Amino acid sequence: MLCNAAVTSRVNGQAASGLRAEAGTEIMSYRDALHWTMHDALQRHDSVLILGQGVDDHKGIFGSTTGLSQEFGADRVMDTPLAEEGMTGVAIGAALNGLYPIQTHIRADFSLLAMNQIINLAAKYKYMFGGRFDVPMLIRMIVGRSWGQGAQHSQSLQSLFAHIPGLQVVMPSSSQSILDTYPAVIDRYRGPVISFEHRLMYDLQFYVTPLATRQEIDPFGSRLVRPGEEVTIVATSIMVLEAMRAAEHLALVSDIQCEVIDLHCVSSPDWDLVMHSVEKTGRLVVADTSWREYGVCAEVCRVVAERNPGCLKAPVVTLGMQPAPCPTAKCLEDLFYPDLRQLVDALAVLVTGKKSHGLPLPDTQSMADVYKRFKGPF
Amino acid sequence: MENSQKFCELFFQALRIRLVEERIIELYPGDAIQSPVHLSIGQEAVAVGACRDLKKTDLVFCTYRSHAFYLAKGGSLGEMFAELYGKVTGCARGKAGSMHLAAPEVGLMGASAVVASTIPHAVGAALAAKRLGHDQVVVGVFGDGATEEGVYHESLNFAVLHRLPVIFLCENNGLAVHSSQKSRQGYDILDHARSYGLPVYHIAEGYDFVKVADMMSDIIQRVRLTREPVFVEIRTYRYKEHVGPGEDFMCGYRQPEEWLVWKRQDPLEQYGNLVETFRPAILKEIDEAVHFAMSSPFPSAEELLRDVV
Ligand SMILES: Cc1ncc(C[n+]2csc(CCOP(=O)(O)OP(=O)(O)O)c2C)c(N)n1
Ligand SMILES: [Mg+2]
Repeated sequence: MLCNAAVTSRVNGQAASGLRAEAGTEIMSYRDALHWTMHDALQRHDSVLILGQGVDDHKGIFGSTTGLSQEFGADRVMDTPLAEEGMTGVAIGAALNGLYPIQTHIRADFSLLAMNQIINLAAKYKYMFGGRFDVPMLIRMIVGRSWGQGAQHSQSLQSLFAHIPGLQVVMPSSSQSILDTYPAVIDRYRGPVISFEHRLMYDLQFYVTPLATRQEIDPFGSRLVRPGEEVTIVATSIMVLEAMRAAEHLALVSDIQCEVIDLHCVSSPDWDLVMHSVEKTGRLVVADTSWREYGVCAEVCRVVAERNPGCLKAPVVTLGMQPAPCPTAKCLEDLFYPDLRQLVDALAVLVTGKKSHGLPLPDTQSMADVYKRFKGPF
Repeated sequence: MENSQKFCELFFQALRIRLVEERIIELYPGDAIQSPVHLSIGQEAVAVGACRDLKKTDLVFCTYRSHAFYLAKGGSLGEMFAELYGKVTGCARGKAGSMHLAAPEVGLMGASAVVASTIPHAVGAALAAKRLGHDQVVVGVFGDGATEEGVYHESLNFAVLHRLPVIFLCENNGLAVHSSQKSRQGYDILDHARSYGLPVYHIAEGYDFVKVADMMSDIIQRVRLTREPVFVEIRTYRYKEHVGPGEDFMCGYRQPEEWLVWKRQDPLEQYGNLVETFRPAILKEIDEAVHFAMSSPFPSAEELLRDVV
């Protein structure tokens, strides 16, 4: 499937799976965008080092690091022992002494073993020592979903990290988002960055703008990806795609125009962008990839409540995972995650003010069914 | 021996650290130092001996008990007192206190209050040194208790696996807070380290700064040339309570007799004449440092949100 990401700025034509769209755009999968940025970082910066379990094997972190160890050497693309805390500490020490480590967690869940180093050390090294040190590093965490990932291979832990001052947390929602974020962060930002990559997006193809016409944009902050008048959808990661699909569906079957904001940097979103939109539409839906409690959904509501609750014409609606660990049976998993139908229904109820709004809902129920290419085993 | 230049220099440095910490003890009841202090009194010889042959460009990563290493590595005394007083002129602008001293200009790369957490940083810094072709030697300092943490194992494995120029320096005072090593460890620290396949050294006389300096000199030289990791355990003894300015022999978890054994071997206790010779100059320096700290401003409100990201 081809996803039309509205945010644009750069691409490397060579890595774009050989696909070429009409003038002005190219097509690149999320995986290829990741691979391109990893290759680009290694090529342009001698100081870059990729560290992770299996980064050098034939699967190469779902194809995002394949072949790089052969090209740049095993001392730059380094398979690591199974030692999440230790390796995060090693990355911090390497960053303190002149390298730029990129660390991978094939599942975000495994980063929980490195919480001490990430939260007690990396996040605080600059502040705690009065600004005398920088810890420039990128930690890539992959969020699993579907095919029985279950309770310990599917967690979307962005709010845990975004809660901690000193960490920048991004959630790239498209190939373009990766191309806009990773090179800029690696080139210019001197602190620790955590990126949540959604496994379901790896196989998706996105439109991206060619390298030649790229513009540098702030790797942090948020992006307006679709303008609209009736309701604001603030979304993260793959929920941005769901929000776009919901918006397109409603535009087809009704007059409802949804404005979609990709929160992107959940640690320091562009709150002015969010508030401006909510003040315009008066209605807000927040769609996050994780649990709603104490998370991104809660945080967006906090900011609206603090800044201008009076702008809301109706109560806020939030969508996220059900408050349980993730089950594996497909029928339960489908209930666990929000689906397109629910999102469209929530938007229609909110805008029309009626439970029985009469607008047709889309057929598709499970996002995993829609992103069909995502099939096990892996 | 006690007349040799090396002995006198090391004696001076160890005494300086002890007098600095004794001044902290004097000042502490005034409540101007609002920071937990983990004193190194009794352990000074480890720091001065270990740092003697390190260059400024060699890196040391420490623990919360780091006054001695900070000073032995060449950190500014004035900035240290200012840090303890929470002043903006402190080595970390008043955001670190006693537990997080750092002086990157002389290679003191920070100290953490989370046990064992800087050990992998030393390994990572050594990885960078190797990749970037620096001739640096990196030292990770930690206590006996830290060897019980998983990250210690992870760090040893990685350093040996990739042959990194790092010295694992275990400052073994036989205690973690109030628990004896025996009550915590089912392994022998040296045997355990040796099983990773790196050279291990043991220095039983952690009070003897000349011996520590001589052995460390060889070890540093070895690492500088071979670019491979080594492990060193130095036995030492903590005279004061785990944290705070007092003594705690009345608390029952250890006996004053063992302290007396260490004190009888401690040059700073044994060479009164030398102490008297050096004391005035050191006290003058301490007076100036304390004056600098006291007369410095506190951080302004803008400092609160500075250097977060
Ligand atoms: C991870 C962690 N666990 C527990 C503590 C509490 N604690 C502070 S110091 C200490 C003892 C550590 O002993 P050791 O490593 O031998 O160092 P020493 O204090 O003797 O120099 C403990 C348990 C801590 N700071 N960090
Ligand atoms: Mg100890």
